[in-house]
Amino acid sequence: MKPISVLVKEKPWLGWLIFFATIIVVFMLGLLASSVIERRGEAVFAYKPQIEHSQFEPRNEVWGKNFPQQYERYLQTADTTFASKHGGNAFIDMLEDDPRLVVLWAGYSFSMEYNQGRGHYYAITDIHNILRVGSPINGEPSPQPNTCWTCKSPDVPRLMEEIGVAEFYKGSWDTKGHEIVNPIGCADCHDAKDMSLRISRPALIEAFERQGRDISKATHQEMRSLVCAQCHVEYYFKGDGNYLTFPWDDGFSVEEMEKYYDNIQFSDWEHAISKAPMLKAQHPDYELFLSGIHSERGLSCADCHMPFISEGGQKFSDHKVQSPLNYINRTCQVCHREEEEQLIENVYERQDKVKESRDMLEIILVKAHVEAGKAWELGATDEEMKDILWDIRNAQWRWDYVAASHGGSFHSPIECSRILASGINLGMEARVQLSRVLANYGFEGDVEYPDISTKAQAQQYIGLDMDKLNADKKVFMETVVPEWLKKAKEREATYTYKTL
Amino acid sequence: MKLIKIMKPPDRWKLPVIVVAGILVGISAYLFHISRATSYLSDKPETCINCHVMVPQYYTWSHSSHREVAHCNDCHVPHDNFFSHYYFKAKDGLRHATIFTLRNEPHSIFIKEEGENAVHNNCIRCHTELIESGTLVTTNPEMYNNRTERKCWECHKDVPHGKIRSLSSTPFALTPLPGSPVPEWLRKAKQRDN
Repeated sequence: MKPISVLVKEKPWLGWLIFFATIIVVFMLGLLASSVIERRGEAVFAYKPQIEHSQFEPRNEVWGKNFPQQYERYLQTADTTFASKHGGNAFIDMLEDDPRLVVLWAGYSFSMEYNQGRGHYYAITDIHNILRVGSPINGEPSPQPNTCWTCKSPDVPRLMEEIGVAEFYKGSWDTKGHEIVNPIGCADCHDAKDMSLRISRPALIEAFERQGRDISKATHQEMRSLVCAQCHVEYYFKGDGNYLTFPWDDGFSVEEMEKYYDNIQFSDWEHAISKAPMLKAQHPDYELFLSGIHSERGLSCADCHMPFISEGGQKFSDHKVQSPLNYINRTCQVCHREEEEQLIENVYERQDKVKESRDMLEIILVKAHVEAGKAWELGATDEEMKDILWDIRNAQWRWDYVAASHGGSFHSPIECSRILASGINLGMEARVQLSRVLANYGFEGDVEYPDISTKAQAQQYIGLDMDKLNADKKVFMETVVPEWLKKAKEREATYTYKTL
Repeated sequence: MKLIKIMKPPDRWKLPVIVVAGILVGISAYLFHISRATSYLSDKPETCINCHVMVPQYYTWSHSSHREVAHCNDCHVPHDNFFSHYYFKAKDGLRHATIFTLRNEPHSIFIKEEGENAVHNNCIRCHTELIESGTLVTTNPEMYNNRTERKCWECHKDVPHGKIRSLSSTPFALTPLPGSPVPEWLRKAKQRDN
C-alpha cells in the first residue's frame, strides 16, 4: 500500500475526506463527552439534601427539612391517645393511680409528682411542668442540678460541645433553662453527615470504657438499642459536680449495681419516715431488656418501637417511637403468627403477674417504713435499726428497679419476678426484725396502716404542702418559662445553615 | 514504523492533522476520565451508582441484610468462570451505558431474563445448603421442582431491594454518588472571579 501522503498527492479530495471524517469523529466524541458530563451533573443534584447543617444543630425542624417523612412521624410522638392496660402514651397520674408510692418516696421529690411518660415530643414541656424540679422563682434556685436536662434535648450535646461536659452538669437546674428548649430529637441519635446512628451522651461512652469495652466497635444492630440506652438506663449523679454516671462497673444485674452503690456508700435520700438510706432506681429499661428473651434472640429496641412503615410505597423506619402494642401487625406479628388479641393477651398476662408480686412487695414496704417510724418514735437506737434499714433500702431498690422500668415486666418477666421475690424476702426480713425491736420497747400488735387511699391523703400523711407547691409552679410556668423560651428564640435566630 | 509511514500526511496537511489528532486524543482522555472508566474494572457497589438512576437499587441494598455479605456483582454477574464473568459484565455494562447515554432508562427498571438467570444461580451459589438440605428435600416433595423450575424471588419478594422499585422510590437516599467533576482548585478559582 502506498503511504497516504502519496495517495493524497495523487487524489487531493482523499485528504479532505480524511480531514472531515476525523472532524465528524471528534464532534461525535464531543457529544458523547457532553452527555456524560450532563448526566454526571445530574448526579450532583439528584438526591441532594435540601440543606447542610452542623452536628450540633439543635432544632429538629431544621433536620426535618432533609427528611420530611421521618420528621413528620417524629412529630406524631405528640399523640396521647393510646393507653394500653399498664402504659401507652396517654397521661396517667401514677401517684393517684397508686398512692402507696407517695409513702415509699417520702422525703424525696418523687412523692410530689410522678406521671406516665409521654412521647419524646413533650420532653421539655413535661420537665417544666413537673413539681420535682421545683419552681425556681424570685431568684430561688431549683433543688435539682443541670444534670436533669441531660436526657431532654438535642441542645444538650450542643451545649456540652460549647462549654464542656463537667461544666454542663454543674449548677442548679434553672441556670440552663434558657439554653435547653428543643425536645428530644434528631441530633440525639444521628450523625449529621450521613444519618448513621451516633452516641451523643458521654455517660454511656464512659460506662462502656469503665467496663473495658469500646462503644465505637458496636454493630449496627447494637447501636439500634444503644442510642436508646443513652437515657433509658439506671444512673446516678456522682459527687458534688453531679456528674451523670451509670453504675455498670460490676455488671448489668440488680445485685451488681447494688454492690456498686454499696461500695461507694451511695444513697439518693434518707427516707422521711423510716430514715433508711434509700436508693431510687431510675428506669433500667435497657438493662432489663438485656436479660430478656427478645434481646437473647438478637432484637434491638428499634425492631419493635420503630419498625418499618410504608408511605406512598416508600419504606422507612417509623420515628413515632411508641408502645408496640399499638400496632401489633408491624411488631409482634412480624415474627409471631398469632391473632392480635392473643398476642396482646400474652403481654398483659406477663405484666399482670409481675404487677401482682410488685403490689405485694409494695404493701410490705409501706408497712416496713411505718413500723420503722414507730420504732424510732419508741426510742430505738441506731445500732438496733442499722441492719433493718439496710434491708428496707435493698428491698425498695428491688421494687423500684422493676416498677420504674418501662415495659420491664414484658421485656424480662422472669428476671422481674426473680428480683421481686428477693425483694419480698428482704422486706419481710426487715419486718420480722422490726417486730422484735417493737416488742423490746413493749409495743404489741399491729402498727396502724395509714389511710392512704388517695394521693391527697398520702401526701398529707407524709406532710407535703401541695397547695403551695402547685401555686409556685403556676407562677413559674407563667413568668420564668416564657422568659427562657424568648431568650432561646433570640439565640437561635443567630443560627445558620447552608441551603444547597 | 511502516504504519506511520503509511499514515503520514502530505507536508501541507501536517499542521491541521496534528491539531485534529490532538483534539481526538484529548477528548478521548477526557471522556475516559469523566466517565470514571477505570472504576468499571472494580467490584465496588459505588461503581453502579456512577449512573444516578441506580440509586434506588443501591440504597435498598445498603439497608438490607445482604449489605454485609454480598455486593452488586456477587449477585448480578455470573461466577461460573472467568470468561463468562467478564463477558457478561462487559455486555451488561455496555448496554447500560448506551441506554443511559440515550436517556432511555425506564421509570421502573426490570431485570432481563439473562440477568434473572445470573441472579438465580448466585442465590444458589451461596445458599446451597439451604435448598439442598436433606431434611427439606425429604419432607417437601415439591422441593426439587421449586428450586429447578421457579425463581427464589417468586416467594422472597423483598430480598434484598424491597418490593417497590422505581426512580422515585427512595427520594431521600444518602448515597456516595459521584460529586461534581470540577476539581476543587478550579471551583475555588471560579469563586474568586465572582
